[in-house]
Amino acid sequence: MKFVAVRSSFSKATAARQALILIALACLPAIGQGFYLRDRVSWESPIPASELVTVDQARAWGQGAIWVDARPDDEFARDHVPGAFSLNEDHWNDLFAKFLPNWSPDKRIVVYCSAESCNAAGEVAKRLRDEAQLQHVFVLQGGWEEWQRKVKGDK
Amino acid sequence: MDVVVGGLFVYAGVLKVLDPVQFGLDIDNYKILPWFFSVRLAFFLPWLEMLCGLALIFRFLYRGGLSVLTALIVVFIGATVAARARGLDITCGCFGHASQHWSFAQHLAIDLGIFCALAVLLGIELIRGAGHDQENQEWLSAVFAKEKSEDG
Repeated sequence: MKFVAVRSSFSKATAARQALILIALACLPAIGQGFYLRDRVSWESPIPASELVTVDQARAWGQGAIWVDARPDDEFARDHVPGAFSLNEDHWNDLFAKFLPNWSPDKRIVVYCSAESCNAAGEVAKRLRDEAQLQHVFVLQGGWEEWQRKVKGDK
Repeated sequence: MDVVVGGLFVYAGVLKVLDPVQFGLDIDNYKILPWFFSVRLAFFLPWLEMLCGLALIFRFLYRGGLSVLTALIVVFIGATVAARARGLDITCGCFGHASQHWSFAQHLAIDLGIFCALAVLLGIELIRGAGHDQENQEWLSAVFAKEKSEDG
């Protein structure tokens, strides 16, 4: 039997092989970019450790801390850290206008949302740093859940 | 149509490549993967999107690019619906921070539109592939018949 050259036809194996090639090619610039930005990215947690604060640490700051509640309005209305200011992305402009007169550069801002898993506190903290150019902004580790646990534990 | 769809994915990929940390936060919002994987995917997925988009535009590794993008959009639609069902208030992340104010309905409409476009392209490619299979079958039959007559 003579050797017969067969034109290849499109097949699932072809699509899979091409997909694997594309995935492998995409890894190269991704790894390069990750290496280039390695010092600017928090690889283990969405919020860098330097920006996190525990309930005990924040409470120890006493009057030197200003508390910011990043949860929705109804949750804030139900209960919140005593003296906290509501500041969420739903009504940012109005709430920020009420918050700002109470801030001073020597105060540490502690932002919290409902729990460790929510992102609202991180988002609000980011806006306070980037847009409002405020310094000493921290996110409360564990959020409102951790605050309640600690406060009930102390009682 | 493949140029338009491919161009859309290249554009979306470029927006996310410019701010991978924010895209990582957007992935993390879905609460499906831990941050360890979300941030690493945030570096990888935009490049994959761009390469697959270019594959569609230049018809190089075309079927692989089409398959990957279709799989990605299906997973993304599933994740969006699941997040909504769990009551999560998420930003899309699909066009970087440009899409952060889209409502859930807008997200879903655009995702389904993209999925339909990809499905059409996939359908055309499958038909084209089946046509080639038919041609190959006839060509092979002719060659074997010729060889048989020569050997005989």
